Amino acid sequence: MIEPALPILIEDVFLAYGDHPVLNALSLNVAAGTVTALLGGNGAGKSTTLSTLLGFVRADAGRVAICGIDPGSQPEAARRNIAYLPENVALYEHLTAVENARYLLALSGDTQDRAAITDAFAAAGLQERAWDQRLGAFSKGMRQKVAIAVALLREVPVLLLDEPTSGLDPRATADFNALVLAVRERGTAVLMVTHDLLSAADIADRICFLEAGRIVEDVTADGPDRFDVRALHARFAVSAERLAA
Amino acid sequence: MTLWMHELRLLMRQRLAATALALLAALTIAALVAGMAEVARQRAAIAAIPAAQNEDIGAIAAWVDKEKDAGSAAYYSFHPTWDAPSPLAFAALGMRDVSPYILRVRALGLEAQIYDGDTFNPEMALPGRFDFAFVLVFLAPLFVIALCHDLNSSEREAGRWRTLAALPNGGAALWRRRVLLRLALLWSVICMPFAVAAALSGAGFAAILTILLLVAGYLLFWVVLCALVERLGWSSTANAATTAALWLMLVLILPTLGHVAINRAIAIDQGAEIALAQRETVNRAWDIPREDTMKAFYARHPQWADSSPLTSAFHYKWYFAFHQVGDESVAGKVRVYRQGLEARDRAAHGLGWLLPSVGVQSVLTGMARTDLSAQLAYRDRIRDYHRQLREFYYGYMFRDRPFGKADFKRAPMFDAKT
Repeated sequence: MIEPALPILIEDVFLAYGDHPVLNALSLNVAAGTVTALLGGNGAGKSTTLSTLLGFVRADAGRVAICGIDPGSQPEAARRNIAYLPENVALYEHLTAVENARYLLALSGDTQDRAAITDAFAAAGLQERAWDQRLGAFSKGMRQKVAIAVALLREVPVLLLDEPTSGLDPRATADFNALVLAVRERGTAVLMVTHDLLSAADIADRICFLEAGRIVEDVTADGPDRFDVRALHARFAVSAERLAA
Repeated sequence: MTLWMHELRLLMRQRLAATALALLAALTIAALVAGMAEVARQRAAIAAIPAAQNEDIGAIAAWVDKEKDAGSAAYYSFHPTWDAPSPLAFAALGMRDVSPYILRVRALGLEAQIYDGDTFNPEMALPGRFDFAFVLVFLAPLFVIALCHDLNSSEREAGRWRTLAALPNGGAALWRRRVLLRLALLWSVICMPFAVAAALSGAGFAAILTILLLVAGYLLFWVVLCALVERLGWSSTANAATTAALWLMLVLILPTLGHVAINRAIAIDQGAEIALAQRETVNRAWDIPREDTMKAFYARHPQWADSSPLTSAFHYKWYFAFHQVGDESVAGKVRVYRQGLEARDRAAHGLGWLLPSVGVQSVLTGMARTDLSAQLAYRDRIRDYHRQLREFYYGYMFRDRPFGKADFKRAPMFDAKT
């Protein structure tokens, strides 16, 4: 029996910008139907990890794969399996929410009718009156709902989130977390890059601390309390101090 | 809906892009209408020539018929020549707005007549006509810049770049699609009105196709230039400023400097100076013995040497002879002037290989037969016709044959096609 390829596979990856190493023997796998949070301070290599998975940059050494596809050599094929939400979801302000969704779906090689799109908006918690409004007046949370609705519609095996809850109010953060969990329930592998330990602890099945381009702490949720946030905070603080040093 | 249709809708929902395309279409149509109106006006003027000529000849024929003097007939009768516009002249009026396309000549000295229209109206010569060539060469690049200078940078600045680039059809293919779409739209708003105007004007399919390809090539050049500037990764404002500066250099400054350099490198007299030199020789003939003039004339034209000798009375054959001697006295200057013009034209064509704006204009005026070569070819036809006129009238004057009313009908007619 052939094992299905891991949605996200990073194996002993090295990457440097000039003389400056950014990823240093980084290894990280994310299984289907799980949420992994990648925490780290500025310059730890979080964004570069995402860029490597998206095929924006190629690793100097090691192996990167999205569902068995190397995004460095086959970026378009790899991206067919990825939904990506950047920190600030910026869409076309002169288009309505439905039009933006249609356009992003088209760029994903997908087509959905209006009913499917509005169903996804409803599932993402976007109010009906906003569906045909131009995005100019949308809050960050509303934009994220549009983007996550597109991710839901695409039904891809990998969801990459870059600081998804930064700038969101507590209610919007709770709404967003619920959405991510819903995506996970569909079997999607979610990798979330964040500074927000509390948010990560709320939804992640696993929290990895990244420091100087390598995983230095790897904690899996355990028991009904999932994570010991105090202990994690202490470890994260230590990690940040190490980085600063 | 295809990706192309999505891109089209996205573009057309941008007010600036939609306005720019509409404006370019309006300018193109206005330029084509103006060019066609000008050509129609020129055609109407040419069509009115036979009636006006009949009227002119009719006014002097009765009087000439009384005297039967061929010299008077030759002196007072003007004969029209014209350079009919080509089917593509509406697209590039070229030199037709500053050089004569109708010239009425007499059998007198030609050089003073042919360069009558040589002094261009500077107000017209500087900016050129508002025609299709002007819109394409000068204005279209600005619209390319407006639509293409910030394809990447605007997405980066709006924070959408990573979102788009992370989508399967959103990487390099997206930028290629956007560039090609803009190129196709710009090409369409320029070429569709042009193709209609050219078909209405009777231009050939091959010529229309060539110009359509030329427009595509020229627009592509500017699109590539915008793409190269975008690759530098600067801001949209910096891209706009850089591409606008390149437009200024490539369309205005370098062509002007190039022409100044060519004119300095290939110095030639003005046509008016040739006319003046010819006029001085002609005027001097009044101060020298008539026999000297006739001797010089017969030496060059021995076929008339057996004409009856001059008496003390005025005879037009002396008058016409010294005009022709005057023409021949500046033949060397005329040759040098023409060679100079041709050398400048060749150099300008060479400049066209370096500067696309110059090259496109050169190709358009060449195809429209409104360039210097066409102007020189018209002059050649005038010279040929003038030679026929002289031979016709000399046959009467130097043989002392009477010239009656009916003889006007035997005068050679200008053949515009030769």
